[in-house]
Amino acid sequence: MWGFQSSRMVAIGSAATVFVVVSLLPVVYMFALALASPGAWAATILDDRQRGLLVNTTALGVGSAAFATAIGAPLGFIFARVPLRFTAGLRLTLLAPFLLPPYLIALAWIYLEGMLRKVLPAAAVAALPDPYTLGGAIVALTVVFYPLAMIATEVGLRRVEARLEEAALLVARPGRVLWRITWPLVAPSVLSAALVIFVLAISEFSVPGLLRVRVFTTEIFTAFAALYDFGRATVLAVPLLIVSIAVAATAAFLARDRVLVTRRGLYGSPIVPSEAWTVMAAAFAGAAVVLTVVLPVAAITREAFRADSMAAVIEGSRAAVGNSLVAATIGATAITATAICLGYARARTLAAGAAAVDVLWIVLFTVPSTVVGIGLIGVWNRPAPWGWFYGTDAMLVIGYMARFLPVAALASAAAIRSVPTSHEEAAAVSGSRWLRTMAHIVVPPIRLGLLAVWAIVLILSFGEVGTSILVAPAGESTLPIRVYTMTANAAPGQVATLALFQSLVILGPLVVIAIVLSKRNGH
Amino acid sequence: MTASFLRLTGVTKSYDGRGGIVGFSLDVAAGESVVIVGPSGSGKTTLLRLVAGLERPDAGEIWLEGRTVAGPKRNLVAPHDRGLGFVFQDLALWPHLSVCRNLEFVLGSAAVPHVRRTERIEEALRLCRIGAHLADRYPHQLSGGEQQRVALARALVGAPRLLLLDEPLSSLDPELRVSLRGELASLRRQLHLTMIYVTHDADDAAILADRTVTLRSGRVQSGA
Repeated sequence: MWGFQSSRMVAIGSAATVFVVVSLLPVVYMFALALASPGAWAATILDDRQRGLLVNTTALGVGSAAFATAIGAPLGFIFARVPLRFTAGLRLTLLAPFLLPPYLIALAWIYLEGMLRKVLPAAAVAALPDPYTLGGAIVALTVVFYPLAMIATEVGLRRVEARLEEAALLVARPGRVLWRITWPLVAPSVLSAALVIFVLAISEFSVPGLLRVRVFTTEIFTAFAALYDFGRATVLAVPLLIVSIAVAATAAFLARDRVLVTRRGLYGSPIVPSEAWTVMAAAFAGAAVVLTVVLPVAAITREAFRADSMAAVIEGSRAAVGNSLVAATIGATAITATAICLGYARARTLAAGAAAVDVLWIVLFTVPSTVVGIGLIGVWNRPAPWGWFYGTDAMLVIGYMARFLPVAALASAAAIRSVPTSHEEAAAVSGSRWLRTMAHIVVPPIRLGLLAVWAIVLILSFGEVGTSILVAPAGESTLPIRVYTMTANAAPGQVATLALFQSLVILGPLVVIAIVLSKRNGH
Repeated sequence: MTASFLRLTGVTKSYDGRGGIVGFSLDVAAGESVVIVGPSGSGKTTLLRLVAGLERPDAGEIWLEGRTVAGPKRNLVAPHDRGLGFVFQDLALWPHLSVCRNLEFVLGSAAVPHVRRTERIEEALRLCRIGAHLADRYPHQLSGGEQQRVALARALVGAPRLLLLDEPLSSLDPELRVSLRGELASLRRQLHLTMIYVTHDADDAAILADRTVTLRSGRVQSGA
């Protein structure tokens, strides 16, 4: 069945080739190029300017990871253990900040800070961090990334066997059980989420770019796009790449098979907080919804309504909106199809090799978007036939694939692992070929999970800016690129109108799903 | 009312209207070993969980040493205040704690002074025939039989007034099962333990029981 010409081998081989060429090669290329230009190292790494960048980048990562975990971990605990009403809808609502493009959160923070300065007393205003500072960037990225800590904590807690807590509850009070039994079991999940947030924060380009905070990602973009210094951009990318890879690998090791996998424990009752805690939990979750979802969207909406003509602004960006929707839809579909094949191979691989693949995928997902963009240009900007795609809209799809194929494969593998191998074997001995088995046996039970992978990749692609701003063909634009460039030269009302439009396109379906889930689940 | 060590009167517990036990009554004297037998889904495990306080009865009352510990839809005494030892079917050894730390957690929760903990742990390990060289190992580093002994030692180290065992030998091979069953019987006599032992194995019942209660579909078929 694993024969060289079998349909399984062809599908997985094709997917692996796409992955290597599109996702892996640009990063390897960047590394190789940097190593091949030793002369540039001393000039770019060791001066005061670079040390300042290093301090800012580290502070941005540590601050965002610490605050995002401090907010997200308690929320994860609440969703895992506190019997709140409308949990499914609430959880989905709190995921919104991660699904919105980060620069929208930064924009909202700029507008919100302006509004608050007008209504708050002077003492409170003094305590507000200026958006155009490192502190402001940390606030924005905290809001963007706390949902990751929330989900990791909830998944970690749901994986803790209820029996382990019950065995402890027979001899200890609930507080001691939480501290001595539950927390040590869930700590690796929380810590790995914090590390991933650290890497994503130091890899983020649009928020520090918009808030004019100098970090490695913005410096790389400036070196390439403004100074046209490819060598400098490459060498600047290397320290960031090394830190990203080291920290992401540590996170992947800590998480191991906890990543994206939930396993129902044996039957039993986990610790459920008392009534008083339920009220406090509801208040905390409610405050999170107001502060991180309602207020940012309200701030963007208020600013948008100050534009002279919202319809004219959207009309003027119709081509960009069309480009975004088409490229993101094609990208999400191609990514999901490829990810299913890669995920299948991962799910049915021996444990040792599978763990290494998980680490690789997590590492690639955390590679900074500007580094991916420059790597793609280096790989694809060549004479035909290799360079046929360069300068066309296909580069946008390739950019999305380079960035999101690894995480989609990781999620697909987790879904496919939930289908027992024996189901496939039963189909095989019944005479079913692999493609038929995939279509009728493997995919149907996990179709909702795969649909979620497609939807999330679509949303992430629709908001992608760091890579697409570098690889988009001249004269073409996507909605994120247009919003991002307009922040430099258009009226705030116009920018806010497009930001609001983009938010509605992303959040609209999310709201519908949240309402449906809430009605279906009740409590 | 106070003659029984443990008394259950008309206890009912169902899960969404299905399973569980119905109108169950039982008296257990101090030092007595009651073995509950019955097929899968007959309510054996539910019974132990109710006694332990891990579930609330829908109806009926549970008394322990003359004190009501649970009434209809409420637990009056928290599980950790009932003075029980429980060996779960899947053992539920805490995977991040070594053998020694698994036992130490029980004593720490009971506020046993530090100076006495080592002595108590050594005693429990000796009683359950666990070699000292295993004390620093983690559960996944132990064989099935060793894990079983550690689970028993953990249940005993707190000097429980009542020991609950939920099919603790079901996952072992027949030879080891016979050996551990004999050791458990011997330990019970040595410590004069009051015990409720759940099983679907007639041999377990024959060797460990002072009295056997048969459950079927949540109701007592014989013995109570």
